[in-house]
Amino acid sequence: MSVPSSLNVGPTTTLYLVKKRYLLFYIFLIWISIFSVQFEFWWYWNLLYEWKFIHFLFFLPFIIFLIYLTAILVSLFFTKLFLIIVNLLHKPREGVFLRDSSDKDFRYWSLRSTIKRWPIWLAHKFPFPFMDNICLKLFGIKTKFANSLFEGFIDTEFIEFGKNVVVGQSAIIQSAVIVGNLFIIRKTIIEDNVVIGAHSVVMPGTHMKKNSILAGSSLTTVGQEVAENWVYLGAPAKKYKPNVFFEDGLEDIIRVQGMEESKIFEKVEDFYTVRRDKEAKNN
Amino acid sequence: MTETLKKESSEKVDYNIDFVTTSAISKISLKFLVFYLPILWISGYMTVAVFFDISRYIPWYINMFLIPIWLFILYFIFVFGIAIFTKAFILIINMIHLPKEGVFRAEEGDRDYEFWRLRVELKKLVLWFMNNGPLPWIVMWAFRWLNVRIDFSSHLQDAWVDGEFIEFGRNITVGQGAVVMSSMIVGNYLIIKKIILGDHTVVGGVSNISPGTLMGKESVIGAFSTTIPNQIIEAGWIYLGQYARKLKPNKYAEQRRDIIYRKHVDEEIKYEVQQEVNIDEDKKSLLNNHVEEE
Repeated sequence: MSVPSSLNVGPTTTLYLVKKRYLLFYIFLIWISIFSVQFEFWWYWNLLYEWKFIHFLFFLPFIIFLIYLTAILVSLFFTKLFLIIVNLLHKPREGVFLRDSSDKDFRYWSLRSTIKRWPIWLAHKFPFPFMDNICLKLFGIKTKFANSLFEGFIDTEFIEFGKNVVVGQSAIIQSAVIVGNLFIIRKTIIEDNVVIGAHSVVMPGTHMKKNSILAGSSLTTVGQEVAENWVYLGAPAKKYKPNVFFEDGLEDIIRVQGMEESKIFEKVEDFYTVRRDKEAKNN
Repeated sequence: MTETLKKESSEKVDYNIDFVTTSAISKISLKFLVFYLPILWISGYMTVAVFFDISRYIPWYINMFLIPIWLFILYFIFVFGIAIFTKAFILIINMIHLPKEGVFRAEEGDRDYEFWRLRVELKKLVLWFMNNGPLPWIVMWAFRWLNVRIDFSSHLQDAWVDGEFIEFGRNITVGQGAVVMSSMIVGNYLIIKKIILGDHTVVGGVSNISPGTLMGKESVIGAFSTTIPNQIIEAGWIYLGQYARKLKPNKYAEQRRDIIYRKHVDEEIKYEVQQEVNIDEDKKSLLNNHVEEE
């Protein structure tokens, strides 16, 4: 429920290639959103300040909220405009590219994330997540409004969400990743009823099928297929147990569960570590 | 669907929940705005009214000087206003439905689930605004205000900590980005179970504490580790790993601050070393006296 003060969570756009001329986009977007703020406030002041001061006071918090919303919407509008123009110049596509400013795809990816940064930062400065979802939808992510995407770090393009998806605290869902000298963009698909645990990382190209669970602190590999109705665990994530928790009438079984810790440790050990003596035996 | 699964596994179906998922709110609906808007409105109105009522009687050139103080005061009126009115709403909600531990269906229509969602969103409003403030103790105040007992010497503002069904001891530390959750969503079920963190416990950064965890006195959970639901962390031990298991006794808690132990690895001799203290020459006598007395 509480959110760490030192982490700026929320949908992220990675800033990798920083160029001074990208500042122009920031300045324009910030300026245009603040322009809308001052225009609205001026209109409201003229309307009510002299005429009925009490009404002015009463509606002020609501108007400030509206002003905040319009600031986001205005900057979103211009961001979308920029994005359309940029995408006309160079269409975003999946693939493996070079991590170098000479590579056109990498350059345009950085440009896109630069443009998207201000509105999504602004939208995340409110504890209710609906503005985030609007932002993500406008940037071309397929998602439902009821999805809980507020607590993790989510990339802003090439992701598809189904219904009822829960993204855990500080989980990272990526569609682009930098590995050594390569830069990979692949579409991440997350289907219905998927739960992604806290601190887990979903790498680009992962296809999480229906009703699957990625347990906390686990990691999928690039292009991994997560099977339907399974719980995955570990780094890289492996099949742990079938997801039987969609059955009816398990309340009593879950409530009285006793844990045999040592057994679970044995079971889980292989998922996270490689034991040298075991490996030697197998070979 | 489930029948085929049973056939596939052919063994006894494993219903144990021995993994961690998340306590993030599972479904967002716009009806929560019904609570958000009045709370924000009333506390915003309080702020605005205070400002305009008082500042009208002060000449503008003095007001210009007072702007920083004004901002500070108004910020606190706003934030505490939110805390007070949220608490009022929570009291009313808890009168309609008392929060309780247990296993519930995570689908719309289940009373416990619906009210859990509502509580999460409401408490988040307070903790969010408190956490975004510049002062650390204000977060502790928010937790205390939401009936979670915690003292001001604890530190948890860099972590995701749930605001209900948690018992904190004195002087606990929760590391950066750690998730302490008393509720968890697994498949179709919502599990709510109380967490107890004893006195002087430390939770390392980026670790997951799952519902039902019991941490004894002076125990430590290392960084990037996970506890299973219902795990018991013994008092005075350091735990580490994906799933946290005993590493070694927590001797650091017993040691005096000016004396450390060194261990000679080859001969396994253990000896005390007095720590060099960076202190003025004339005050060193005080330090030695203190050691002799004990």
